[in-house]
Amino acid sequence: MSVVSSEAAREQSRVPIGVKFFQLAPHFALFVFLLIIWEVAVATDLIKSIMIPAPSAIVASIIELYFTKGTIYYHFGITFAEAVLGFTIGAAIAVILAVSSALSEPFKRYIAPYAILLNVTPGIALTPVIIAWFGYGMGSKIALAAVLCFFPIYVNTLTGLIQRDEDREDLFRSLGAADILIFTKLRLPSALPMFFAGLKIGLTTALIGAVVAEFSQATDGVGVLMNRFSFQLNMASSIATLLSMTLIGLILFYTMEFLDDRIVFWRREARRASVSWAKRRAYKRRVK
Amino acid sequence: MDKSIVSDDVVVRANGLGKSFGEGAVIALEKASFDIKRGSFVSLVGPSGCGKSTLLRLISGLIEKSSGSVQVHGDEVQAPRPEVAMMFQKATLLDWRTSLENVLLPTELNGNVTREDEQKAADLLRLVGLKDFLFSFPSQLSGGMQQRVALARLLQTGADVLLLDEPFGALDEFTRDRLNVELMRIVGEVGATTLFVTHNITEAIYLADQVFVMTPRPGRIAEIINVDFERPRPLSIQTTPEFNKLVAHVRDVLGEDH
Amino acid sequence: MSNSQTFNPAKTNRAHLGRKRALLHVVIFSTLIVSWETGSRIGLLDPLFYPSPSSILNSAWTIYVANATIWYHLYATLGLVFLGFLAGSIFGTGLGAIVGFNSVVRRFLKPYVIVLEATPRIAVAPLLIAALGFGSASKIAIIMLVCFFAPFINTLSGVVNVNEDKLELFKSLRASKLQILKKLVLPEAIPVMMAGERLALTAALSGALVAEFIQRDKGLGSMILIYTRNLNMASAFACIFTLTVIGFLIFRGMEWLDHRIAFWKNEAGLARVSTKRARKMEGF
Repeated sequence: MSVVSSEAAREQSRVPIGVKFFQLAPHFALFVFLLIIWEVAVATDLIKSIMIPAPSAIVASIIELYFTKGTIYYHFGITFAEAVLGFTIGAAIAVILAVSSALSEPFKRYIAPYAILLNVTPGIALTPVIIAWFGYGMGSKIALAAVLCFFPIYVNTLTGLIQRDEDREDLFRSLGAADILIFTKLRLPSALPMFFAGLKIGLTTALIGAVVAEFSQATDGVGVLMNRFSFQLNMASSIATLLSMTLIGLILFYTMEFLDDRIVFWRREARRASVSWAKRRAYKRRVK
Repeated sequence: MDKSIVSDDVVVRANGLGKSFGEGAVIALEKASFDIKRGSFVSLVGPSGCGKSTLLRLISGLIEKSSGSVQVHGDEVQAPRPEVAMMFQKATLLDWRTSLENVLLPTELNGNVTREDEQKAADLLRLVGLKDFLFSFPSQLSGGMQQRVALARLLQTGADVLLLDEPFGALDEFTRDRLNVELMRIVGEVGATTLFVTHNITEAIYLADQVFVMTPRPGRIAEIINVDFERPRPLSIQTTPEFNKLVAHVRDVLGEDH
Repeated sequence: MSNSQTFNPAKTNRAHLGRKRALLHVVIFSTLIVSWETGSRIGLLDPLFYPSPSSILNSAWTIYVANATIWYHLYATLGLVFLGFLAGSIFGTGLGAIVGFNSVVRRFLKPYVIVLEATPRIAVAPLLIAALGFGSASKIAIIMLVCFFAPFINTLSGVVNVNEDKLELFKSLRASKLQILKKLVLPEAIPVMMAGERLALTAALSGALVAEFIQRDKGLGSMILIYTRNLNMASAFACIFTLTVIGFLIFRGMEWLDHRIAFWKNEAGLARVSTKRARKMEGF
């Protein structure tokens, strides 16, 4: 994700609840105001409800999907699973190839052209082929998600591993560290920030892959649901389903932010302080 | 041989000049009062937090004072003005412009650039020793060369009050010495009044007619020391006993208020 | 030595290495192709699902030359991409600049931007098609939507994150707001904006394909879908490789443009413009 959202996430975690309320109030007020204008515009036919439904209709649809009939949970789960599984597979392959490329210059050189070709081809073009190969079920969605998220993760991980800090490596060598130790204790941790940046992009891309594959051919998933509602011209439900995709996106993003924050702790001031504290406590306990 | 090109005309005058941040919580500069005469070279020396950069920025008009007054050529300083030009610790050149175009920036911002302006800019770049690099870009130049372009840009403004905020701080000692010698020569030639911020005591005394020794917490001018060595000054003067007596004195002043 | 050529062992070694490496690339590629072809022939890879390289080439010949069916669809897709990209990125850049200059708007827009970023924008495709009907209008709308975001965010970032030191420099030289905009903000923002445009163009191509998948009337996307449905995988792959070529040309083209516009970010550009400007100002 971009700088905007990461910053926002970080800022928000440091502010106490009371102040947060006052910060959020004007935003909330604006939101309600916009909703009211929108509702009135549709009611007075300024905006055709066929093209853009009224907020009340969308809310009604949300209530139906999430509470009354609860149809959304199953599809939500399916799409979520597709995105996460596809992401895991794509990320695993990407990391293995990236580590291999970082360790072996010839390996990198000879798979480079194929990686470039894969990057340059719009992955979405492969959708029908992947569906033909993996069938109409979840398999094809997972496959497309994996294919789409492979390259960003590969490139970012590789870049992270390739950026070598000569001074630090000299330090390690002067302390007598074997090459494998230099890799695990220096290059891997140094690569973590870029690695997580790649993961964040990959996650977003995997979700896109899952959804697009669902558009083409599927029976279950929020993509299918949205497609169906759209073609029934049930715009309100369609938008309500779209919002559930946003929800999936937000969950995935903030999960990754959380992992990033905890694992790459040295990049965030607040986290640095708390990790430092924790280590001090642990040390005191040991020394006692 | 010039003993001093300092005239009696007061160019910069400060009276109880002070600056605080956060509603008086942090006093960056406490009530400074001084007179600076035309053509003199003043060094501001002291550790971090002594207010030297703040003082410079107050004179330049980039920040607003909290108390007292500061005047340049008799007029109260409200905002940046053409008679005052500043040079920063980072060369701050525009990466998409050649050296010549960077030097011409002040002229450009003030109106049209004439052929004479271009010629003057080229001459200035030759003056600072960059005659073969007129059309190079900043990323093609070393740190020292970039600062020299920044110096040429400073001179292009035609300002007679020059403010330099640790301009050579990031450079190695040899380059710094060379640039200091050049700076003194150029500034003497054009007759400018110069304020030079540094945290290097030797540099401060070597370059200046007056040294403002500043101390932190709160930032203030602890003492103003006159330096009467003749100009032009060779680098070797730094090893003479008179010079080192001054250095020891400055260290004393700074040492007390730690 | 009467020989006018100088003998440089290091140079010839490097040339040898280069040639050896190129050869290895060719060998690896040919091995892959040959094993693929053989696998297909002996039935290891079901030719119905995994077309052999020869059949792909055959189909390519058919659709490009013999029946020349692909050109119409190629132009259809490219036309859409071009129009949609232009509209979407101009709109995104413009809005990004406007929001960038207005800190109040920026603050209030932030939550909506976060939500927009989390949503897979391409997912709106069926909605737009339902709202605007089948046809080019909805396709272009979809493309505009997908390629709006990157230029918007990047232009916004470029305008907001102006280098503090450079800003102070301009202020010390008493530059007007317009001058700061023209001579500082704009050049500083250009590299980041270009990056946004490149992302947008890539997204535009994907957007066009998704729109065509759903509408299935014309364009490369529709063709791939139809060929796949008819299990004419060879032709489908021929189309996919066409997209690879297009994608590669787009990548190279944008890279060239980037190197020319943001010339100061790469060595070759610096050298080129430096000589150009030196020549322009003769007699110094």
